[in-house]
Amino acid sequence: MMDLTNRQWVKHAVTHPFEGFEDMRWKKAGSMKYAIIIVLLWFVASVFYNRLYGFQFYVSADKMFNVIPYIVRTIVLFLTWVVGNWAVCTLLDGEGTMRNIFVYSAYALIPYVASIYLDVFLSHFLIRDEFVFIEAINYIGLGWSVVLVFSAIKSVHQYSFLKTIGAIILTIAAMLIMLFLLVLLLSLLQQVYVFVYSIYTEIAYRLKV
Amino acid sequence: MVFVQQNLKKLVVSALAGMMTAVFCASLAVSAEEHYDVYNYDRWSEAIPSQAGYLASHSVSGQDLGISDFSAPSDIFRDAYDRFFIVDTGNDRIVVTNSELTEVVKIMEEFLLPDGTTTTLKDPEGIYVSPETDLIYIADYNNSRVLVCDYEGNVTMEITKPESELFSSELTFLPQRVLADKAGNVYVVLGNITTGAAMFNSDGEFQGYYGANTVEATSQVIVNYFWKLISTEKMRAKSSRSVPTGITSFDLDDEGFIYTCTQSTSQKTDTVKKLNPAGKNLFSNLGVTWGDFESLYDVNTARSYQSMICDIEVSDDGNINCLDLTSGRIFQYDKEGNLLFIFGSSSEQLGGFVEVSAIESIGGKVLVTDARKNYITVFEETDFGSIVHEATNLYNGGYYEEALDPWYQVLQYDGNYRRAFLGISAALLVEGDYEGSMKYAKLADSPYRYNRAFEGWRTEFLSAHLTEITVILCVFAAGGIGAYIYLKKRRKPTDNGKEAEKV
Repeated sequence: MMDLTNRQWVKHAVTHPFEGFEDMRWKKAGSMKYAIIIVLLWFVASVFYNRLYGFQFYVSADKMFNVIPYIVRTIVLFLTWVVGNWAVCTLLDGEGTMRNIFVYSAYALIPYVASIYLDVFLSHFLIRDEFVFIEAINYIGLGWSVVLVFSAIKSVHQYSFLKTIGAIILTIAAMLIMLFLLVLLLSLLQQVYVFVYSIYTEIAYRLKV
Repeated sequence: MVFVQQNLKKLVVSALAGMMTAVFCASLAVSAEEHYDVYNYDRWSEAIPSQAGYLASHSVSGQDLGISDFSAPSDIFRDAYDRFFIVDTGNDRIVVTNSELTEVVKIMEEFLLPDGTTTTLKDPEGIYVSPETDLIYIADYNNSRVLVCDYEGNVTMEITKPESELFSSELTFLPQRVLADKAGNVYVVLGNITTGAAMFNSDGEFQGYYGANTVEATSQVIVNYFWKLISTEKMRAKSSRSVPTGITSFDLDDEGFIYTCTQSTSQKTDTVKKLNPAGKNLFSNLGVTWGDFESLYDVNTARSYQSMICDIEVSDDGNINCLDLTSGRIFQYDKEGNLLFIFGSSSEQLGGFVEVSAIESIGGKVLVTDARKNYITVFEETDFGSIVHEATNLYNGGYYEEALDPWYQVLQYDGNYRRAFLGISAALLVEGDYEGSMKYAKLADSPYRYNRAFEGWRTEFLSAHLTEITVILCVFAAGGIGAYIYLKKRRKPTDNGKEAEKV
């Protein structure tokens, strides 16, 4: 019963928004390899979305390309989601492990990532008047993914409907706190570095003289 | 080892020398005659080197004209017969010259009042000559009046401080600039009025104000507004009011629109306006930053220098010349508000200024008076400038195809000139060369233009290759269905079993 391969599990989870993840949990399925590939594909999609989009839809071409913001907006964002959700739900009697949260959330992203690729592809054939098609695909992909993420969190922790909503809200708050601490840490480290460096230059000058 | 190092050193030095020569030659090529770096703004609002559209050709002082030197000239005006009226403020006179600025036609110092007495000027600051009635309007600053006279100096009307409820009796009446529209209404810029230009009808009766600036919605203004909501009458009386800066100068174009400029360091909106007869600003939605984009901070004086447009002038072909008091630069825009050229500088050389006061143009020349240097600098259009003007005028008039050749020439002079790419893209689109149009739209970085060209290209492509596309689509569809059926048949035994079990 339900002896699916990894690839069939991906398909099953995406096309069955309500019991797909429950089945996955029941059969202890879900591949970390596929999950990582999906997140990386999301990152590549976000770069494509900004660099390979049809020129007629450009808002403004950048003068310079920097890959760091794209990494932050996809991979780092996803990791904070996973860690934040794990931290919150461990306290809220959630049953999910960090690995399962990672895998299930990544599977839930598939429709959104696919819609980005589809949009980039279509943007080379449509004109501005037909932007509504691209927008529609975008919204469908996003909506589908939101439903899947909800379902994934609900099954991975075995929560009720309301508890899932509460957990997601708390997770978003946790993510904000984590990002805030991260920025704080970075700026503090920078100041420590500047301090150490200035002491070093001072000593170096003294030694020279 | 030492030998190698020396050799390397030599190589590096010679390479550096070669590079410097190249750079030097390149900079020479950019501005052959000007003593400052000619620049323009690119698509990302960053200053980039550009070709000079105007070069300073010569200067004209009072002595060059055979009269005593000018003293702080504050306005210059060209009338319908191409005579120049120079307001020589310090000498209390109006100097009229010919169109070439080579000889003086007339000096106006004394005026005959209707009652037979004569009167003189006292620090006049502005002048206007009506093309319809040939009447001369002089803003006689320290006499607190506007003189209206004919070319012979017979005063027909004197506009003095109005006695009206709208004009507080405590205010002084010190006219700085004056203008009259086709209907004979007189507009006067007063330094102490922030509600626009005072407007008088043709009989000299006060009508009200015209073209007030709006208050910029800065955070300070919003905070003040909030406090006013909750404060008492007494507190309100003591608090400061948010008042816009009054307009500094204006000019009239051929169609009767009044262009105003406002010289202010703090205000960023409404520095240049194009007003329709109702006083509505037609440039309000243009989103143009008039003057320099970024303010410069001077460490020595601990002040930041921002463009202050002190005079504005609309040339015969509709280009707008804005004079920047801070930097001594002239910013020329076309009638749509697109920046064409930046020229002039703040220096002692020819083409540089100390304190600019007024600007006027005739044909391909731009004249600028300097109140400190006491002479008029004449700028002449370069070849590049005239081609850009020709292309811009054709383009703005809707003659895209006719503008194609001039735009190509512009690109030969300056490959960074973005509007040339836009113009070529538009022209090629009209001609039906969609691919060329797409290429130039991409170079101009304009998605809107690219979109239109792409639409045309797509339509053409679809109609040309309709059969091929249909065949390919049919083959794909048939292949897909075939593959689906084949896979289904092959999987049937295992898959169906699973499905059945699950149910």
